[in-house]
Parts: sequence; C-alpha cells; structure tokens
Amino acid sequence: MTLPQPTRASLFVTCIVDQLYPEVGVSVVRVLRRAGVAVDFPDGQTCCGQPLYNSGYVSEARKLAERTLDILSDKEYVVVPSGSCGAMMRVFYLDLFANDPELLARAKDLSQRVYEFTEFLVDVVGYESTPVEPATDDRPERGSAVAYHPSCHLLREMEVTNAPQRLLDAAPGVDRVELPDAEQCCGFGGTFAVKYPHISEEMLADKVAAATSSGADTLTACDMGCLMHIGGAVSRQKLPFQVRHIAQVLDGSAG
Amino acid sequence: MAEVVTRQFVPASQAAVKDAQLRQALRRAGTGFDGTRREAIEEVSPEVWEEWREEARRIKEHTIGHLDYYLEMLERNVTAAGGTVHFAVDAQQANAIVSQIARANNVQTVTKSKSMVSEELGLNHTLEAQEIDVFETDLGEYIIQLADETPSHLVAPALHKTRGQVAQLFADQLGVPYTEDIEEMARIARVALRQKFLDADMGISGANFLVAETGSLVIITNEGNGRLCTSAPRVHVGLAGMEKVIPSLQDLAVFLRLLPRSATGQRITSYMSMVTGPRRDEDEDGPEEFHLVIVDNGRSRLLADPALRESLYCIRCGACLNVCPVYQRVGGHAYGWVYPGPIGSIVTPGLVGLGQAKDLPNASTLCGACRDACPVQINIPRMLLHLRHNIAEGPESYRDAGSDTGSLLARGFAAIMSSPRLLGVGRKIGRRLLAPMAKGGVLGQSRIPLVSRWTRSRDLPVPAPRSFSEIWRDELSGKGPTGLQD
Amino acid sequence: MGIPFNRDSGRGVDSLGIPSEQFRETVRAALGRQDGPPSEPYSALTHNLTDIEAQAQTVRERIARETPELLDRLAATAGLRGWNVHRCDGAEEALGYVTSLVQTLGASSVARSEQAVFDSMPVDAAIAGAGGLCWPAVYEGPASRTGVRQRLAESGMGITGADYAIAETGSVVVLPRRGLSRLVSVVPPVHVAIVRPSDVVGTLDDLFALRRLEYVRNGGDMGSYLNFITGPSRTADIEQTIVVGVHGPREVHMVLLNEE
Repeated sequence: MTLPQPTRASLFVTCIVDQLYPEVGVSVVRVLRRAGVAVDFPDGQTCCGQPLYNSGYVSEARKLAERTLDILSDKEYVVVPSGSCGAMMRVFYLDLFANDPELLARAKDLSQRVYEFTEFLVDVVGYESTPVEPATDDRPERGSAVAYHPSCHLLREMEVTNAPQRLLDAAPGVDRVELPDAEQCCGFGGTFAVKYPHISEEMLADKVAAATSSGADTLTACDMGCLMHIGGAVSRQKLPFQVRHIAQVLDGSAG
Repeated sequence: MAEVVTRQFVPASQAAVKDAQLRQALRRAGTGFDGTRREAIEEVSPEVWEEWREEARRIKEHTIGHLDYYLEMLERNVTAAGGTVHFAVDAQQANAIVSQIARANNVQTVTKSKSMVSEELGLNHTLEAQEIDVFETDLGEYIIQLADETPSHLVAPALHKTRGQVAQLFADQLGVPYTEDIEEMARIARVALRQKFLDADMGISGANFLVAETGSLVIITNEGNGRLCTSAPRVHVGLAGMEKVIPSLQDLAVFLRLLPRSATGQRITSYMSMVTGPRRDEDEDGPEEFHLVIVDNGRSRLLADPALRESLYCIRCGACLNVCPVYQRVGGHAYGWVYPGPIGSIVTPGLVGLGQAKDLPNASTLCGACRDACPVQINIPRMLLHLRHNIAEGPESYRDAGSDTGSLLARGFAAIMSSPRLLGVGRKIGRRLLAPMAKGGVLGQSRIPLVSRWTRSRDLPVPAPRSFSEIWRDELSGKGPTGLQD
Repeated sequence: MGIPFNRDSGRGVDSLGIPSEQFRETVRAALGRQDGPPSEPYSALTHNLTDIEAQAQTVRERIARETPELLDRLAATAGLRGWNVHRCDGAEEALGYVTSLVQTLGASSVARSEQAVFDSMPVDAAIAGAGGLCWPAVYEGPASRTGVRQRLAESGMGITGADYAIAETGSVVVLPRRGLSRLVSVVPPVHVAIVRPSDVVGTLDDLFALRRLEYVRNGGDMGSYLNFITGPSRTADIEQTIVVGVHGPREVHMVLLNEE
C-alpha cells in the first residue's frame, strides 16, 4: 500500500494581502496545511495586474500579467485567496492576451490551474468532507455568528457559488447567519471607490446595514479588497461586528 | 437629437444620491420588477430560461452579423406589403423624414406610443416647432411630457416620480382636482387622451422587433395605447433603430417569452401588435399609409467595433437597470442621456461619442449583475472594460486634465509592482509616512490627495510592518513557529 | 428569399432619407462583410412550401390530439393573466353568459365584429332580448368612419371571435380584416372574446408555424394587423401600482366553448 501524494498548491497571496494583511496569508497557509496540502510560495510575485486592467491601462496590466504568467508557469495548482484576483487570472488574462497566440496559450494553461482558496479546498481537496470536528446539532452556543458576503467576481466571474458557505457550515464554532441582499455589491469596485465615492458610500451603507441587521459578530468574504472597504466603514463607525477573511475564520486564529 | 448632458454625471449623481424620494422610487421599482422577474424565471425553471437566452442570443448574433442582408429583406417585404421604408443616418435626418411625412399628409395632431428612439431623436420638439400637436399616450410618457422631462428608465419612464408629484402635475397642467388616487389618475389620463386617439391624423410608434421575412413591425404594450396609435390615425409611422430586425416570424416566439419576463416579470404583456403595411383595401380600418423609419444615428459605430457589437443585441427590457447597484442609487437622469444604466453606459458613448461620456463606463463596480440578468447574455462588464481601455489608452481627444495623472499613477504602479524589491522599499516608505498618522493601525480622515477620497468615509489600513513574503521566508517556508511543516 | 407580393405601393410619400443601398453599404463596411446571403442557410427562413406544410401538419396533429388538455390549460393560463374565463357547453349557454354580462353592465350599446362564429350564435337577438342593442362595427364606406368610431366610443362592450387562442400564454389572437375592426376589441371598456376549440393552439411556436404557412400560401401577404390580447389593459407607470383599464378594456371575458 502506498500513501497518497499530498496535493501541492502554489500560493499566489495577492498584493493586498502581502502588503496590508499578511496575517490573512498566514491563515491561508495554516488552513491549507491542516487540510493536508503541501504549500509553496512562488518567489517574486507581486500584483496580477487587475487594478490596472480594470482602470483601462491594458498595456501596463499586460506587463504585470506576463510576469505573473512567468512566475506561475509550471505550478500544478495555483491557489489565490481572492475571487477578484482569481477572476483576473482565470478569465481576464484570456482577454488581455487575446491577440498574442503564444501568451494566450500560456494564459489558457494558467486558467485551468488557478483556483480561489475555498474553491480549491472544496473542489480539489475535498476538505469539506473531513472537517476538523464533525458539525453536530448540539454545536456549542459560544459559536461565532458569521455572515458571508459573496464578492462579485468570485460569484459571477469565477462562479464560485457555494464553496465558502459549505466550508463555513462545516467549521466548528461557526454559526452561519444569512446576510440580507448578500449578492449586492459592497461598492468597492477598485478605483470606483475613489472616483465616485458618493455612490460607493451609498452601496457600502446598505451592505453595512445588512450586516448589522444579520446579527452577525463577524462578516466574512473571500476578498480583502471588499473587506478593506467594508472594514473601513466598520472601524470608522465603530460598528459591533468584525470583518475577517474566510481563511481567518476557518483558521479560528482569533475564534 | 435629445440634449446630451453626460458630462454632468458627477454633479448629477451627487444630487441624486441625496434625493430620498428618488431612492424610494428606485428601490420600489428595482425590487418590484426584479422580484417578479426572478419568480418568472423560477416558474419556467432556470434551465429552460438558459435555453431561451441562448436561443435569443443566437438569433441576435446571426441577424446583427448579417444586418445588411436582413435590412434589405425587411425593406423589400415592407414595400411589398404597401409600406414605405426610410433610412436615416442621424437624428436630424430622421426628424426631417417624419416632418416631411407629416407635412405631406397635412397632419395637425399626432398620438405617440412609447418609443425610446423618438426620445433619442428629440422628435417631439421638432414636430412641435412645426405647430403639430404631439401627445404621448403611454401613461409614463404622458407624465414626463407634461412635466417636460426625459424618461428615467427604459420601460418605466416616470419611475422617478412619486404619486404626489404626478397628482400635482395633473392638477397644474390639466386643471383637474388634486388626487393621489392612482386609479383615478389613470382615469384622468384615459379621459384626456380618449378623443385624441380617435381624432389624431398620425400615429407614431416604436418597434420592439422588425420581422424581415414578413416586413412586420412588432410592438409589445400593456395599456392599449399602442393599439390605438397604430389603428386609428390615417398615417402610421414606425421608428426603429436598425438593430431591431430579426429574420423570421418563428424567431419571435422566444423574444415574446423573454422580453416581458425580463422587463416587468410579466409572463406576457396585455398586447402584442404586429403591423404589416397599411390597411388593405378590404380591411375595416387601419392607417392608409405605413412608414418605417430606420435609424443609424451612431449605431454603425457600435457595429464596427467587434468588442461593442453585442450592445446592439439589446432588447431594451431594462433588467440590467433594475439589478444595477449604481443605477439603483443614481437613477436614470444622472446618466445624462436617453439610455441609462449598464447598457446605456455602452450605448450612450457609442451614439453621442465616448469623449463626452467618459464617466459612464467608469461609474460601475463591474459587479456583473447586469450580465446575469440580461435576457440575451450581453456581456456588459466586458464592454465597460473595453471602453475604459479606449479612454485610458485611446486617442488624444479623450484626454483631459485628469488623464496625465491617471497615466502617471498607472505607470508608477506598474513599475513598483514589476519589482519585488521596489515594492518592499515602497511599503517601508509608505509605512514610515503613514504610521505616525494612524490610530489603531488605520488611517482616519486624511487630507492627502486621492487618499482623502477614500478616507472621507472609510478608514484605510497602513502597510504592514512585515509583508507576507517576509513572514513566509522567515517563518513559514520551513518548520517555523506555526508548528506546521511543508 | 422573400416572396414577391403584388400590390400597389404607389400611395403616399416616396422613400426619403438616404438610399437604402447606401445605408446598407455603411452597415456592410462596419461588419467588414461582402454583399450576399449568410453562408449557412437560416433554418427558420425556409420558404419550401412542402417543408412548412409538413411542419404545420405536425403542429395541427398534435393540437388535435391534445385539444382537451389545451382547453384546460388555456382556461387556467387565461385566468391567471386576467381574463374572466367562462367555459360553455354550447352556443346557448354562451349567449346566456353574454346577455347576463350585458345586463350586469347595463350596456345599452354593444359592438361586435362580423365573424363566422356569430353565424351559429345569434348574439344580436339575444342581447335585444335583454334590452340592449348589439350592432356590427363595420364601415359602410369612408363616410361612416367617424360615425362608427363615435358609436364604438359610446359602446359599453365589444364582442369578437378569436382567430387563435394560445394555451401557453392565455392570449386571444385576432387578425383584423373585413368584418373585424381593429377597434372593436380595444375601444369599449369591456371585451368579450368567443373562443372555439378549433381556435386553440398550444404554444407561441405553434402559432407562428401556422401563421408562416398562411403567409407563404397567401403569396406573401400577412394581412395588415395581428393582435395578441392577454387580459385587460393595464399600467404600472405610477409607483409600480397596477391599474387595469387605462386606454383599453378594463374587463375582458373569454367565453370558451367546449365544443364547436
């Protein structure tokens, strides 16, 4: 009998986590390893190019995308703790390199290998079926009430529709509560938030109100961009819930 | 052409988000229309709905891809049925054509059923300048005509008006007693327009579809005004953007299933009327003349760009407006022209010129709700990205005061992100500058340019003391303090 | 493609604007396309009479097989779409329903079309018996136009047959022509449609397949007008509040005969 080879994942941590929220990256690594995944961290990674691409600076975005293709060229699975960056690499690289057959072939190759963090855990690792503790009906009362915000690109570009919820439902000490109008955008939209703050803020206000009314003590999502936006309002308004990346919730590092 | 105030998007949207009545009206319409739309999809099942969307898209793709061919077929068959087809390159020409038809027929009174193209052309003003009385007859259009406003939604033109505002308008303009009873207000409109329908010399309608093989114009309505406008007057003029053509009668079925469900959630509208030429000699009634005016007015520019061509698949259902978080906050008027919302942010720059509508493609979070709602699967976010590219890296004429700053920031960002070493240095400098101003690890309201546009309402994290890359190198790559080995 | 159809099109204003060929040339240039038909034939455009005939035959056979179910489905759907559906076993019962409606409404003037359905349903006499006047809304030359219209505007009810009824959508389809005014089903505040089992089709696809056959058979004449009527006239243009009976009938009745 031979032991199965551990799944190997190459982490693309995203620039926002690398520079602003490194603790999220640590939780990602801990959860992946706990799920039996061998994690490596390809050297030299920075930004996938998405902020530039979304602002129309396609030629500048291409430079960063090409770098990213190089860095991730021979990895079996690329795991990204962001639906937004994941969508860039899976979906939008194909548009970005549509007119360059050689780079397009490489982008297509990458798009087959790139997974958002929760999607990878559920679809590739099958982690959901082996939670650390079995979820039971008599889950302790002290469980954290967690509301999940499905970020737009994760939901509609990567089409990850239920992996995060399934992981949360299986996680010990987590009681998932419904977030009203969950699929409404939080109003971040990258540069949108600073180009049209008056509209962005209206959307944010509704999201924050929905989270407050959900009764959750924690609002989670798979994207630090959205969470930076929502969290910015939470800390400004001193609201009674915290904002955490799903990897942190699953890691239970502050649970 | 209708006045273009797309450059005013920022001040107009700033005013709109503060308008509580507007917000309430938008919320009511958004949840109302979208809620019934979703119920209608569940009723037929999402799988069947997807099949319909795919079929509709195939039809549009084929027709628009051979538009010259189908326009020729349409023209031939309208003519064979005794109608006359006129082709207009722009709004001015289209208005001149309708005016000339009116003059030739000694028209004094016109009744109109809803037509977004006529809004686009600004046709009413042209006709009124020739002392022709023009009556909008769709209740929503009637309201905004009385108010001298423009539509704020593709299918519900007066969506932005509350019942109280309509009541006041009717009292002021029609001299009727003030009433907020909606049923009574509808009755007032019925009474006011009843005789106009029967007396009008000319009826003007839009077209939801033009069937090439039979030369038919199809309109889909609920109130009955469309039937009256196309039946009672001596002359009927149909106005249509050139993209409205579909090949066969049999192609109509799927669109009759998709359009009402997507627009209002109705399974079908009260009426579908199909006009093929003028009345036949043996008919009881119907117009003596039928004219079809087919309008380009910038559509060939959208057609010529393969990345934007699919915007011409739009069937003007308004579903994308009802799900759009931006439209839902700012309403239709902020967009500054006839076509608002996500699809308007593509069509409007196409028809009025991107140079004066640069805010429209940018004022979106690219959340993608519009694409999911679109009954013909138009990939709106993709086209918004394409337009952003044209603005950022396109011709000199699109550049303005902010363009150089934008390009500089983009180039700077790309340069830093191209070098992990530079990025590390950048983070350290950023932290050194910002950390002293931060409280609890975040920056509160700040006066730093650009940053202030974020921090006016949201705290901003400052760069971390150690990057994840450093933590990985020091602690995670081998057996580190996490106690977990690779 | 397209079927030659001979009729005088010499009336009115000639084509204005730019020549159609020039317009199409702009379109072709935008598409980067050469003049010519699509390389793949478009199946929904076949003009082969045998094929269309065969397709229509299949539709008719299916409808004939399914008529009882289609009638049930039509009644159910039409009810949901705002029709007052009244199923009748015969002409007598139908006439009884119509006259009771006339009485309830107190309609002194009732307009109707001249259609074959009334041959076996003496509606004029029945309504006269109930104290109303039922009159055929047909024009006797252009001079009668204003008079007929004014009378229609004053009528409390309009009665028509149906050329088709669609089970899928609950719609009555009318093809205005000699004897069937466009206005009789839209101007009076109440519309009654008499639907016979032979009028019923299953789906929109059935309807358009059958209409296409007629079109091709008629040498390319559709008839000038075709109307779907599905429930009452309605609007939701003020605060999304539904109001019935804005410019068309506020009340519609489908008298559905269970047999011819």
